[in-house]
Amino acid sequence: MAAVKINEIHKSDLPWIVEYDESKCIQCGKCTAVCSFNAIKPAVEYRKKTNSILEKDKLEKVLVIKQNISLDNYCHGCGMCANVCPNGAIKLIRNKDDKYSVAYRSQKADSFKKGGRSNLNTEGRTLDKIKVGRISQMTDPSLDAQRHTFELRTPFGRVLKADKLNFGVKDGNIIETTKLPPNRWIYPIIFGDMSIGAVSWRMWEAMAIATAYLNEVMGIPIRMCTGEGGIPTKLLKSKYVKYMILQIASGHFGWNRIIKAMPDMTEDPAGILIKIGQGAKPGDGGLLLANKVAKYVQEIRGVPKADLLSPPTHQGLYSIEESVQKMFLSMNAAFKFKVPVAIKVAASVTSVSVYNNLLRDPYNIVGGFFLDGLAAGTGAAHEISLNHTGHPITSKLRDCYLAAVHQGRQGEIPLFAGGGLGQTGSFAADAFKLICLGANGVFTGRMLMEIAGCVGSDTGRCNACNTGLCPAGIAAQNENLVKRLDVDKVAQNLVNYILATDIELKKLMAPIGCSSLPVGRSDALITVDKHISNRLDIQYAC
Amino acid sequence: MCRIGAIKSKQKLHPSIALKLMRSQQEGHDDSGFAFVMQDMGGLFENYKELPLLSMAGTVEGARLAEDILRDIGFTRVMQWSPDINNKKGLKIDALPMYIFEVLQYPKSYKHATKEEKEELLIDTSIKLRKALEENNSGYIYSFWPDTLTLKEIGSPKDIGTYFNLWDENKDLTSSIITAQCRQNTNYDIVRYAAHPFFLEGYTGLVNGENIFYEKNKSYQERLYKGYLGFESDSQCLLYTLHYVHKILKWPLKYFKHTISPLSYDEIIKREDSEILLRIKASLSHLEVNGPNTFLGVTPSKELLCVCDSKKLRPVVIGKDKDTVIMTSEVVGINDLMPNRNIEEDIYPNERETIVVRDDLTVERWQQ
Amino acid sequence: MIKIKTLKNNNRMSTQELLQMIYKKIEEGHTDFEIEACGQHDIGGALWSKVEKPLYFRVTNPGQRVGAMAMDGTKIVVEGSAPADVGWLNSGAEIVVKGDAGDTAAHCAAGGKIFVAGRVGTRSGALMKHDPKFEPPQFWVLKNTGSFSFEFMGGGIAVVCGYDCEELNSVLGDRSCVGMVGGVVYVRGNVEGLSPSVEQVPLDKFDKDFLKSGMPEFLKEIDRLDLKNKLLDFSEWTKIIPIPKELKKKKLPVKDFIKNEWFSDGLFGDLVEDNGEVYGLAEEGKARLRKPEWDKNLCVGCDLCIKNCPQNAIKKESDNYVSEDEKCIGCGICSAVCPRKAWKMIVNR
Repeated sequence: MAAVKINEIHKSDLPWIVEYDESKCIQCGKCTAVCSFNAIKPAVEYRKKTNSILEKDKLEKVLVIKQNISLDNYCHGCGMCANVCPNGAIKLIRNKDDKYSVAYRSQKADSFKKGGRSNLNTEGRTLDKIKVGRISQMTDPSLDAQRHTFELRTPFGRVLKADKLNFGVKDGNIIETTKLPPNRWIYPIIFGDMSIGAVSWRMWEAMAIATAYLNEVMGIPIRMCTGEGGIPTKLLKSKYVKYMILQIASGHFGWNRIIKAMPDMTEDPAGILIKIGQGAKPGDGGLLLANKVAKYVQEIRGVPKADLLSPPTHQGLYSIEESVQKMFLSMNAAFKFKVPVAIKVAASVTSVSVYNNLLRDPYNIVGGFFLDGLAAGTGAAHEISLNHTGHPITSKLRDCYLAAVHQGRQGEIPLFAGGGLGQTGSFAADAFKLICLGANGVFTGRMLMEIAGCVGSDTGRCNACNTGLCPAGIAAQNENLVKRLDVDKVAQNLVNYILATDIELKKLMAPIGCSSLPVGRSDALITVDKHISNRLDIQYAC
Repeated sequence: MCRIGAIKSKQKLHPSIALKLMRSQQEGHDDSGFAFVMQDMGGLFENYKELPLLSMAGTVEGARLAEDILRDIGFTRVMQWSPDINNKKGLKIDALPMYIFEVLQYPKSYKHATKEEKEELLIDTSIKLRKALEENNSGYIYSFWPDTLTLKEIGSPKDIGTYFNLWDENKDLTSSIITAQCRQNTNYDIVRYAAHPFFLEGYTGLVNGENIFYEKNKSYQERLYKGYLGFESDSQCLLYTLHYVHKILKWPLKYFKHTISPLSYDEIIKREDSEILLRIKASLSHLEVNGPNTFLGVTPSKELLCVCDSKKLRPVVIGKDKDTVIMTSEVVGINDLMPNRNIEEDIYPNERETIVVRDDLTVERWQQ
Repeated sequence: MIKIKTLKNNNRMSTQELLQMIYKKIEEGHTDFEIEACGQHDIGGALWSKVEKPLYFRVTNPGQRVGAMAMDGTKIVVEGSAPADVGWLNSGAEIVVKGDAGDTAAHCAAGGKIFVAGRVGTRSGALMKHDPKFEPPQFWVLKNTGSFSFEFMGGGIAVVCGYDCEELNSVLGDRSCVGMVGGVVYVRGNVEGLSPSVEQVPLDKFDKDFLKSGMPEFLKEIDRLDLKNKLLDFSEWTKIIPIPKELKKKKLPVKDFIKNEWFSDGLFGDLVEDNGEVYGLAEEGKARLRKPEWDKNLCVGCDLCIKNCPQNAIKKESDNYVSEDEKCIGCGICSAVCPRKAWKMIVNR
């Protein structure tokens, strides 16, 4: 046996300790068979038969399950082994003293990368300290969430101030006299932009099905943003494309096929989202590691199997003037000015300047402002970006709304907020509070993952989306893992979750007496935190 | 709840009719105040229709302050009327020392001014007066506009009537349109400016309701037009929206309802004018009103207007005889004043309706 | 008979003063009242006489809630129209309104009869109920109702005659019967915008008998017996009842949407091979993440792999060891126990 040396990697360095109870194990092999990270293995151990000192006992060989001690094949804590074990013989213990990230950097001379979200949540969530505190009682009636009608649609696309609509009047009726920018009325929740590649084809299809079903069967006008990883031509040419917001990011992946499909498209897409940045890794471009660049991904993106790093910024857009005039103009022109074009940026100290700039654009070609906060998820990022860059969503969303109010231009460029919504289990409440603070709607990716069976957590479980080894088949590209994901079930669960959220949004609208979305109704909110009260300009309560 | 009423008649009516209209609706208000606006004046004011009429109340100092400001601008007094005060003991009224109702002549420099220029002067002067009076807490200006008289006071409507000697009809103080409110305003401080009806540039509005989109409305309206100020009541927002839609945007009256309670998207897309209605819904989303409301209004062309919230949560009824139309919260008020009308002609507006009484008393009803 | 005038000069009697006066008179044994009201609320409600004679109120211009909580043995006749909440929580009285009734007429009525000679306002009939120990409440309206009528109705019988309402799109207003779970609404004339949780069906014999027996009494009370033949022409009547929960239309399940509406070979059919099969965790065959590969040169033939394979997947064929794909889950035990590493785990693609 080789000697154990201190400067090697040890079990105690790893983030998870596999605890194995030999007495319960029947050696069925399921735990090792299921582990996508190859983090455990069957192994033969030597045991003494007795503890007697009177005779030299022959060692006995026994079969056990052992943890791999490795920087590459290590346990991410996903817990699939424990899920399949018939006897509860295996479980995972979080190693509070792990040194994995030190060991990784010191041995690989490379920055540590991961997926999922930041696991460095040091401060409490602002949204959890806000309550809906203005209840309609006596002064005005609360409504009935189940039985009354509610208008949950929100505009998406440039909204002009009434005196800029240039309406004419003829025979007592208003008539349109000029062509107005495209504007759509959509559900205030958007399925957030996750690309084909970042998620598996099955996951992407399940989201697309849920979107189509919610629209066509349930009448819930939800939209899905495609992410930037190409779009199946079939979808582009189908009627369902009208529920899709096509994304263009700095990599411009997949746009060749979109352009080629244009002559055969029978419907306009729901919108276009220009992604400038994302909350999880602001200032950084998209990142798809080679192990996830499956053959079909290569095909629709038009790239070989390699690490795909999108630049941090769009090549050719080096000033806000260019961003607005060049990029927005091109994307508006792509669909002949019939489709709203919005922009997504990571929340930042500078967001308000950007928003002001867009509001003042005289050509009215900016159709939405998506702000992504630092608690957002991602398929892959450098840990340093995930943990140490970004801006919380709540105050920045509020700043942008109030900046518009200050100019009397609220609502002109609809605001959509995202980044960590539902983190503490209350997605509808988070959405509702952000709407009261001024958002026209919200977007989410992480909730979709969790609904689909993601086992990752904010405290470090799994978060291995970057590896291509997603045990749930969501962020995997390995066929055997992807096929674990049941498209029908995931689509159904996504639908169910939105139906539940729809009820819950109404359960919050009803007691404040609102029959339409309470955009900007910050008077309905209170907070028990004085600083939050000051910062967001909502009532302090104790 | 408040109780509100709007009366329009071919005759010139004395404000006692407003007191009587409100009397039987007593349980709907709380003795906290009474206010009315008279438009299309008769009696003593009959011959001064083109000239601005100032309605204010305050201290002696406030009166002097207002006089100085008006004189500095160049206004000259043409006629003044003072109510006949009955200051008997025990009246529940929080009266002010001075009540000023005076007709003024425009400054000489406005001799050839257009209607718009004169209106601009009046609104600017109103704002100036209001600010000055507010600064030293010496009074309230309710209206400064041709052919319009406003009185607001805190206290029991009945006693306010007695104090100003309004119970007995006379021919001096009359008008063809009277709008009035008896307040139940105990939600907030009892402030004179918060009493309906509100008046702005020929538009009058009064509401029985609660506008829970007040913050949204206010934050938008504050930057929309200089005359949108005060916001002592969430109901002012509805008047400002009427003014904005009808006067500033110059849209036909029916779009007021589409602004304050837009149809749902699903209903709009079935209509021919869906493009227009969706644009209005988006552009004026901050002027939407939520919560229970009945709005009564008067336009500069002397039309009465009535709309309700989209769930029709507050009461209102309209009754008429050959000379007069009355809109009010409860039928009891109309029963008192017009017991012999044909009740089959009463109108109970629904959640989609706009009712307009034209100047010739024809009644029009539009479904939204 | 007691006559009460509530307005003298400009002095109006308050609701409380009026009601106190009525209590006193009933206490004194009076049962017959004529009240010239001026908007006072709650006239006629929650009253009973000790002299075992019916209470009778003839009222002009009452305020809201005339007949509120009124009881068996009370009859209230309103000459003209009445504002909101006529017969609120009516428990047994007969209330006749000879004009229109305002919003929420018969709100929560659970007994007695309410007859209205004109229209009734928004949310009328809301939350009517029927206590099975007593007769169901009845609510008869000659003309039409405002919108949101019969919201959350739980029981009782409403009859809306739709008289003189031919030009209306709906004699029940818009969004009638939302949340209705019990009772029945008989209606004559156009109905639109009904809640999807109720159904409008033809009358059966029981319904017709009910209307035949009840109509004359209603019309007599409102002095419109002349309309009897017109209103008993059953061709124009229907009834509205809640749809039982088990019969409510179910939405298409997502899997059927996928089967019937979605792309037949999936969205990615032309990009990846995917027959839609869903792999379980730790499954055999092609679902395995890894599979064993045997190296003849290293094998010493000890059979430890065969003995330890949990799936009994390994067998010996002549000199060769074979792991059967249909049985193997790729656990790696064969490889672990092999003293010579003759079994190696490789990625299964």
